[in-house]
This record gives sequence, structure tokens and C-alpha cells, in this order.
Amino acid sequence: MSFLAPLLLWGLPLAALPVIIHLINQHRHRTVKWAAMMFLLDAKRMTKGMARLRQILILAMRVLAILALVFALGRPLASGWVALTAGGAPDTVLVLLDRSASMEQQNLLTGESKRSTALEKIADLIDKVGRRTRVVLIENTENRPIDIEEAANLVDLPATWPTDTTSDVPAMLETALDYITTNETGRTDVWLASDLRGKDWDPGSGRWDSIRAAFSSLEGVRFYLLNYPDIASDNISVTIDNVSRRKIGDQAQLQMDIYLRRHVPVGAEDPPDVEIPIEFVINGVRTADKVKLEGVDLAMQGHTIPISTTVERGWGKVAVPADSNPRDNAFYFVFDEAPSQKSVIISDDSQVIEPIRAALSSQIDPGKNYVAEVLPPTRIAEIPWEETALLIWHAPIPEPISPDGGLLRQFIEDGKTVIFLPTEDNPGTDGFYGGNWGEWVGNETDPIPVGWWRTESDLLANTQNGDPLSVGELNFFRIRKFEGEGQPLMKSETDDSILTRVPTDTRGAVYFLGTLPSVSHSSLAREGVVFFVMLHRALDEGSAALANAQQRDADPFLFGDDGPNWKTLDVQETADENEMSITKGMLAGAFENQAREQLVAVNRALDEDAVASIDEGEIENLFAGLDYRVIKDEVGDGNSLASEIWRAFLITMALALMLEAVLCFPQKTEKKVTAPAVPEPS
Amino acid sequence: MADTNVKRDFVDPKVLGRLMGLPLHARHPMLGAVSGRHRSPIRGSSLEFAEYRKYVPGDDLRRLDWRAWGRSDRYYIKEFEADTNLRMCLIVDTSGSMNFGEETGNHISKLEYARRLAGTLAYLAANQGDACGVYCAGTEFHSEIPPKRGAIHLGVVLDKLAEMEADGETGLADSIHEAAEKISQRALVIIISDLFVPPQDLKSGFQHLRFRKHDVAVFHLIDQNEIDFEFDRPTRFIDLEGGAPLLADPTLIANQYRKAVKGYLEEVDTLVRDAEIDYHRVGLAEPYDNVLARFLLGRTPKTKK
Repeated sequence: MSFLAPLLLWGLPLAALPVIIHLINQHRHRTVKWAAMMFLLDAKRMTKGMARLRQILILAMRVLAILALVFALGRPLASGWVALTAGGAPDTVLVLLDRSASMEQQNLLTGESKRSTALEKIADLIDKVGRRTRVVLIENTENRPIDIEEAANLVDLPATWPTDTTSDVPAMLETALDYITTNETGRTDVWLASDLRGKDWDPGSGRWDSIRAAFSSLEGVRFYLLNYPDIASDNISVTIDNVSRRKIGDQAQLQMDIYLRRHVPVGAEDPPDVEIPIEFVINGVRTADKVKLEGVDLAMQGHTIPISTTVERGWGKVAVPADSNPRDNAFYFVFDEAPSQKSVIISDDSQVIEPIRAALSSQIDPGKNYVAEVLPPTRIAEIPWEETALLIWHAPIPEPISPDGGLLRQFIEDGKTVIFLPTEDNPGTDGFYGGNWGEWVGNETDPIPVGWWRTESDLLANTQNGDPLSVGELNFFRIRKFEGEGQPLMKSETDDSILTRVPTDTRGAVYFLGTLPSVSHSSLAREGVVFFVMLHRALDEGSAALANAQQRDADPFLFGDDGPNWKTLDVQETADENEMSITKGMLAGAFENQAREQLVAVNRALDEDAVASIDEGEIENLFAGLDYRVIKDEVGDGNSLASEIWRAFLITMALALMLEAVLCFPQKTEKKVTAPAVPEPS
Repeated sequence: MADTNVKRDFVDPKVLGRLMGLPLHARHPMLGAVSGRHRSPIRGSSLEFAEYRKYVPGDDLRRLDWRAWGRSDRYYIKEFEADTNLRMCLIVDTSGSMNFGEETGNHISKLEYARRLAGTLAYLAANQGDACGVYCAGTEFHSEIPPKRGAIHLGVVLDKLAEMEADGETGLADSIHEAAEKISQRALVIIISDLFVPPQDLKSGFQHLRFRKHDVAVFHLIDQNEIDFEFDRPTRFIDLEGGAPLLADPTLIANQYRKAVKGYLEEVDTLVRDAEIDYHRVGLAEPYDNVLARFLLGRTPKTKK
């Protein structure tokens, strides 16, 4: 239990007063010479049981009354989630709010979402107990501290509105850490409202170690993890992918892959089959269909929707009926003419160039124009940066500060893809985005088989129907080790990373392929399927940045300063212009920049549909050594985090006093005998 | 010889003057040695007619009622009541509990009260020619003066009353039995005590006295404080009869105490009623002359109208 005025609890020893007074009274007895001892002894013998119990009860009631009074004066709170037990409200409260799409799961009875429930509770708590406490909000989209003047306004602040963004809990904690160390916030409570999604928390990240170490060195920081891990069993999410406009004969159609997923808690039984109406909206025209969802997932690959031949570009969405999470019931898409599939190969080794050019110039989609241009390293300046979607860089890695390095960095920041291939010479540079080449291993005679590759995503992911690529059949002879920080996509049996994706913090992708397609280095060219798929996936990824119709994850910085130029075609929520200007980019919808003839469909990140949560054991590991409390709450739960319950103590005191009065009430007294009394004369 | 230094201020001449006009009567016929004012079971020559009985040979012809012979032609002897004197035995409880009373606002102890009652009664009895004696019933102070007539003996009795002290446990029950045995003839036995004795013991003592045809009167001295038990804070009760002291919270035990007292008094009432005892419950706040006046008046024979 917590108290708003804990100093008054020093008055608790006063509860001993009745006992002390009783004992003093016992010792302050007077002495009387008494004759009628026989009656006294009889009375004493008769009053041993009930009377003694009555006296004990009276004393107990008096003690209870004083205790209740002292507790009531201490202004107790119903739950102990406030760090107020040791001397009042904290100096600063940091509210770390996850307002990602998954936090919008609602309690359909109350209409409250996880986000709004958490906000209201925290606001109510701060309003009650920490009126003089400084309140700072850090939410996941912009991830910067925002001073809040009035805690009650937390719920209405634009910075706490729902979004379709994803969340990065370690990043928010890092921001909180920066804020605390920079502003010397004194005694600080950090409230972290989250639904514990594993993707948001990223418990395997190395950042946690530094976060933990940094917070451990701070004094007076206490964490309150307000968790909403429950997953609604009736929630169905919809996503679509690979939207393309096709013209077959004199008819046009939109082709897309549609995925429906029922969110079932881990370990739960498969839900029964259900028929789901699906709504399609294309340029504002609605059509409806019904599908049967068996089990948890439904994949409708290559689903076609006929459209007018005159419609060459536009927007649309696929929606399922409302359920407990409104944020994943619709998925937007935009379509336009296919972008250029141009790739540039920087190399002067023909054994490298040919297999790559052959693969990248293959017309796998008749609707697209595949072009592969080869330039030697000496003609880097001639690279058509604007038109190129994929760059195969078989040349020394440029210095980041060099002109070539700058252009290459800009190329990546534009969302395009670069695959670095190893050269024979030493690196001689500082690498790129933290990745660099190490030493060569292996020889031309002893093959090095593949030990592991990443099948769930990225270049070597399984095919759409779930079949794995035949990566295991590949052999490698010479591998140049990767140095630096990156995500391995393929490893040799000797645990050397052959293909690595380097994190860039931008839309673009950077890969390090530690071998060459030439016969002396690998069987990539000979077993051409994997290499072919890998290159075309990289090309698709890069060309997406060139397309005039782009699918993007919700991001507050999506439109940057160009936001006013983007016209809203449709958004998932009804919002006025003012709200739209604030939330543009953070809510799912379709947008058009007429000046640049670009269309963008903004949707929640697919990670938001992942239901895997971290458990208490992982939280314990992540916050090991820190002062933290876990509060498992439920969405829509109306109970306040802290409600003052002094009334209950006053009632207790009153009841105790009443009971004491009843116990003290004189019992039915024996009719007094008056002396003298003379019996009838005999 | 009586000790002239002993104070006899417990005998108040004013009280005596007031009570002198009320004779002390026995409720039952007494067997006295000399003539007196009390009825005797033996027919005598007083003026008060008792009964007729048939003449039997040997009867004194002077007592033959000739008028009755003239009316009925039968011989009747006319008998008259015999008047004799009274033996009054005072049994005064001298146990430690009789010291109670001085601290309760009455400024008089039970013993002193008993002394005044006994002294006044002794004087009144002696004054009307009756014999009086005193038995002190206590384990520490135990003495007996058999009843005798005469002023000198009255002085002895008064001296004994003056010097008696209350101490130790009560010996009342034993003293009653002893007195019942030692008093050879019918007598008026007056017990002055707080009767803090188990009622069963009292009952056997009273029955013993009644068996010996004694006229028994009891002055039960009990203070109102002992009945009401009006204490408001923890009190250490010192047993006046030398028992272990007792620390008690009166608020806890008052009710049970009063219940015990009530039960005891009811038992005593039943007991004295069964034994036909002239019982007087006396509070220390009541003037003793009132008590004696009530006692004497209660014993005065009812006059036939």
C-alpha cells in the first residue's frame, strides 16, 4: 500500500496508547480494605472467560480505531503502483508510450484500447498523486521527450493519438536515459506502457546491455511496466502484397496476394472455420466478396480484381469487418505503371559480370523492362544514379567521405539496393555502414557447404508457397569473411557469414555477398536458381524506391517537410484536416503527390501483426538489477492504478468505535439490594 | 472487677433514654431463674390467665375455680402464666471483616456498630432485670461471658464489649454451635455479625440454636458499599481477614459481584425465614438507635383489642 502523506505514518505508534493507558490504569490502582472477599472471589472466578475476551476486544477496537485514523490521515492509495512510499511524489515522471497499431486492441464493451486505457490510468495516477511532478512523454513515433503541463491532457494530446506505426522500446528507453542524464531529473518514475510484443522489445538486441548498465548507474530511477499482453482471440488482420496491374488481351486487372490471419494466443487451440466478408475498394469503388478462413491463416495468392482498361494508376484497400483491433482491418495499396528494373554492375571481371548480367536482364515479368548495365570501376562516375534500382559493386568499397561514397550513400538513402562483392585486394577503407571485408578463406578445390540460411525473410526466404530455396545445394570454394555488424542471411558450415545484410537506418538495403559467382569461387552461377532469385529480389527491393506507386510502413517522417504536397486519398480513420496534418504518415491510408505523380500507400508495419510476446522471465532478464515493477493490466479495465481509500479507513475507524461503544455499554446490571432489608417478621 | 479505665462511650445515655420505654421481650417463653417480665412455659401465679384444666387429685384446692364448679358442676383448675426473667446472650462477630466501615464514609466500623448495639441491648436487658452475657466469635479474639443478672455483671459485659477487637478469620459458625451447647436453658440469642460465612454453615448453626429452643435474633451488618460495589478503576482489595489480596478491575467484575451478593442475601433470607429468626439487615449508615427501636418494637407482643 502507498500513501500520499507517508510522514504521518510516524503516528502509528499512537495505536499503542490504549494499551499503555490500560496498563497505567492497572498500575494506578488504589488499595481498599475489603470485607466481602467471598463475593469478590466468586465474581472473579465467574468473569474469567467472556469478560476478559470483552476487555481484549475493547482494547483491540481502540487500537484499530487509532490505526485506521492514522492510516486515513496518511492518505492511502488502493494499489501500490506508485513510488510514493518513500517520501511523496517523484520529481519527474517519464511516460514511455507505445502507440503502435497493436496497442489499439480494444475492449469492445468499453471501447477503450490498450493505449487509451494505459494513458487514462497513468494520467489519473499522476493527477492524483503528483500534481507538482514534472511529466514528460516519450512516444514511439518521434521518440523525443515532450514536456506535459497537465497530466490530465495526456489522453487528448496529438502525441498520444493512435497510429499505425511500429514501436522500438529500447530506443524509447535510450531517449529516456538521455533525458534523465541531461536534465538531472532527480527521483524519476519511468512508466512504460506496452503490449510486450517481441518485435517491439527486441529482447535479443545488444542495446539492452548498455541500457541496463546505464540505468544501473543512475539513482532514484524506478520503472513501472504497465503491460497489456493479452491478445484478443477474435482479431483478424489483413495484409496484401505484390500488387500489380496487368493487361491481358483487352482486359485489365489488379493482381495481388492477400493474407488473412487470425490472432490466436500462443498455445491456444485452432479456432473454428469462419466465413469472412472482404471489402475491396479501388479508387473509391467498393466491391465485396466472402472467403472462408480455415485455421489461423489464409493466403490468397494471385487474387485478381478486374478493373477498367482506362485505369492505369490509382489506390485501393482491402478490408475485413470490424473486430477488437480496428488498426489491422484494412490494408491500402496503390498501383501504377511498373518502374524501371535497371541494375548496374560495377566490375571488370567478366566471370563475375556475365552470370549477374544474365540473371538481371532476364524478363521474368513481361510487364517490366529489365536492363543490366556494366561499368568498370574506373567509370563509377557514369552510374545513372537516378534510374538505377540495384547496384552490384564488385570494386573496392569507397571511402564514405569520398564523392563516390557520398553518392553511394545517397543512393542507399533513396531506398535502393547495393550488393557488395569481394575483391582480391585488401579493404583499405573504413567499410560501409559498419560492414567491411575481412580475409579470404578456402581454396578452389575444397568446397565449403552452406551451414545455415535465413528462410523467413529477405533475399533467401522461402518461396510464397513455403518451399525453401535450394541454398543447401550450393558449394563455396573461396569466401571473404565479413567484418562488422550485420544480419547474416547465409552462413557456411565454418560459421562464416556468406551473405550479410547491413543495417542502414534508411529505406535502402546494403548486402555483402562474401563470394563471387565465378566457378573458382562458388557454384552460384552453376546452380543458378538461388542466385537468380536472390538478385531479382534485391532488384525488386531497389526498384520499389523508383516506383511512382509505393507501399510504405507508417512513419511520422515519411513525408518529411513535403507533407502538405501529399494529398490524402483515403485514410482508415475519419479525421479533420487539422488532425490529418498532424498524423499524416502515421496512419494507414493512400496519398498522392500530384506534382511528382507519385502514389503512396501507408500501412502498419507487418511486425505489428506478430503476436509473439516476451514473457516475465525475459522482462526479468532485461531489467535485471534495475528497480522495476510489472503491472499486468487488461484492456478497458476501469480500475484506477491508484485510488485514495481514506474513506474506507475512516469507516473502519467509525465501525471500530461503534463496536467499542457497544462492548463498553454497561451490561444489564443486577438489581441493587438496599440495606437494610428486613424480612417479614416470623 | 471491672476495669474502670475502659471507655464505655459506646453506650449512649440519650439512646438509652429513648429506648428505655421499650421493653425487651422474648418471642418465646423463657425459663428464668427468677421472676421477671417474660413468659415462662411453666404455669405460675401471674395475673394473666392462661387456661382451665381438669382437676386431678393432688392439685392445690386453692387454685380450684369455684365459679366454674358452680356453673358446670365440674372441677377445673384455673391456671395463670408464670413470668420469669430472660437470658440474653450476645454473640458478637470479632473477625477481621468487622473492621470494615470506617473508610466508606460512615466513619464507623462494623465492630463499633456492633459494640453499640450490644452495649445498649445489654444495658436494656440488665435494666429490666434480665441476665446478659456476651460471646466474642473470632479466631483471634474469642471469649465468653455467660449470662448473669446484676449491675456488676453488666459492667463486666460492657467492659468485654469495650475491649473486644476484630482480627483474624471468622469463627462465627463455631461460636454459634458452642453457644447453643453451652447455654443450658432457653435464652434470647442475639447474633451481631456481617455473616460472611457460607450460608450452609450458618444454617446448621441457626438450626442448632432453634433446636435448643432459643429465641434467635440476628443483626446482619452489611454496608451499602459492599452491596453496590461502586468502584470505577482497578483496585487492590486487602482481605480484612488476612487472606491474599486481590487486584481486580471493578468494571469487569461488578456485575458478577452484585449477582453473587444478591444470591447470598436471598439465601440468607430463606435461611432465616426457615429458622424463624428475628433477622435485621443493618446498614452502617442507619442510626443504631433506630435499628434497636425497630427491633424492640418488633418484639413487643401484640395487644388484643
